[in-house]
Amino acid sequence: MIELQNVNKVYRTKTIETTALNNINLNVPAGEFLSIMGPSGCGKSTLLNIIGLLDEPSNGAVSIAGNQVKSYSGKGIANFRNEKLGFIFQSFHLIPDLSVVDNVELPLLYRKVGSKQRRMMAEEAIESVGLKNRMSHHPSQLSGGQKQRVAIARAIVGNPQIILADEPTGNLDSVMGNEVMDILTGLNSTNNTTIVMVTHDENMAKKTHKLMRLYDGAQVK
Amino acid sequence: MIKHIFKLIWNKKGANVLVLLEIFLAFLVLFAVLSFVFYNVDRLANPLGFEIENRKYVSFGDLEEMDSLTRAQSLDLMKRSLEDLNLIEEVAFSNNVRPFGGSNNCHGNENKGYLVQACYAVVDHNFINTNGMKITAGRGFLEEDINAAYDPIIPNEHFMNEFFPGQDMIDSIISFQGDKKIIGVIEAFKYNGEFEESDNRALLLNTPGNDVRMTTAYLKLDPSADVSYEERISNTIQSVLKTSSFVIQDAPLLSKRTNLETWVPMVALLCICAFLCINIALGLFGVLSYSISKRKGEVGLRRAIGASGGSITQQFTLEIVLLASLAIFVGIFFAVQVPLHSLIDAPHDIFYRGILYAALIILAVVTLCALYPSIQAARIHPATALRED
Repeated sequence: MIELQNVNKVYRTKTIETTALNNINLNVPAGEFLSIMGPSGCGKSTLLNIIGLLDEPSNGAVSIAGNQVKSYSGKGIANFRNEKLGFIFQSFHLIPDLSVVDNVELPLLYRKVGSKQRRMMAEEAIESVGLKNRMSHHPSQLSGGQKQRVAIARAIVGNPQIILADEPTGNLDSVMGNEVMDILTGLNSTNNTTIVMVTHDENMAKKTHKLMRLYDGAQVK
Repeated sequence: MIKHIFKLIWNKKGANVLVLLEIFLAFLVLFAVLSFVFYNVDRLANPLGFEIENRKYVSFGDLEEMDSLTRAQSLDLMKRSLEDLNLIEEVAFSNNVRPFGGSNNCHGNENKGYLVQACYAVVDHNFINTNGMKITAGRGFLEEDINAAYDPIIPNEHFMNEFFPGQDMIDSIISFQGDKKIIGVIEAFKYNGEFEESDNRALLLNTPGNDVRMTTAYLKLDPSADVSYEERISNTIQSVLKTSSFVIQDAPLLSKRTNLETWVPMVALLCICAFLCINIALGLFGVLSYSISKRKGEVGLRRAIGASGGSITQQFTLEIVLLASLAIFVGIFFAVQVPLHSLIDAPHDIFYRGILYAALIILAVVTLCALYPSIQAARIHPATALRED
């Protein structure tokens, strides 16, 4: 499902060259739940961004859902992200001016799904994360755990094959973190959704199928 | 997408209300100024009705003190003396209603059930030739008309179209300052200047029966007559009238001065409008740039969930264009009351054109201001945007 070969990422300024990822090789089969761990600044988020086609590797090959990625800009890659990938972020990234249901509908808006169908699919996704009674609320009226559940609903509303979660429990207490983790493991087991999760939490990482550790941009064997 | 953007605008109504108010007020100001400009430009497009190049007007006040016989003799002598000057081609006289003079003589008469109203000048038979006026039907005055059975009248086309539309009225008798026979029609006679609205005008011939004081002489000069020739004219008039109490004025200069009275406020108002548009543009540009910098996270998120760069540009541009459209829509509601209820006495079409052009200008300014920040937003790297939020 996800294949990275000899992926490097180097950030260059006029004076400094920083290697964020160094020769990463990764193969995540369909249905696997992979967690990525490592200290701050080791390149976890960069790796996740490259898998999510939000960032371009300096060199190396990336293949997602059987498609070799050649271009990292344009409408094609935007559509690919929309259809194949779902994103969950540590800081939720909900649009404060939109209600829960409108936030969840967003990916379908870019897929040009009709408004009735969009509303139906969004309500289903919200129901699946247990927030049926919060549909009309705005993000400011929700707790951290509820916000993250909305973000999960938004990630799964378009039935993506892959979910990329960047420290989804990082801003939550352990109870809420476990709730979110339960939803993710449930998605993985029931829908066979491939999940790649960046985390700092060993306990969360233990709940996944496989753990990858990074240190200074390189895989720890 | 439109519905989604409306939702965003509505949910941010508190922040948007000032922008909305700014655009609404700017629309109303633009509408007012543009309507004023269209009103004047339309009038400028209508023919003046007489020529001003190589023409001079002489106003003499002292003749009003003379008895009618002495006055007639003096005018006749003045005419002959002026015609004797080699660079004067034509000489004519009228009463105090002269081009760019600011005087009016208006009259209204019941005419077979119609109220015939017009402003008029009393002129001699050479007035039309001297001033190069265009006759569109019938003929001009002749010397023999002075003693005809009916006093002749030559109205303008506006007069004919208003009171006798589609009728051939040449040689018909109408009641206007007594019975008058229409012998011809002139194209126009906008004696108050080029910005004067086309209205009913008529030329009446000075006949022995009406004791009208002719106080203005019209001179058509040869194009080779320069400014210094005015001295010869002045000396000639002085020798006839035995007084220096008269004024010689250059028709093109008078026209220019009169037109300036409209051009100056019009240009000033247009400058104010341009300044207003620049201010709105700069204000919107600043507001949008700031707003987009505050929404970097949203840009990153939208890119992550499937928005292309083009969609981001489209969304941010549409947001402000829809907001502006909303303000313009409210503005149109108020502006349209002016022609609908005839609140201002002017042709209605200028207000509709004012509305249309004000809306187009505001939309163009808003779109141009929104485009650059929106394109910049689309260029934000999604990974960077998500990290920076």
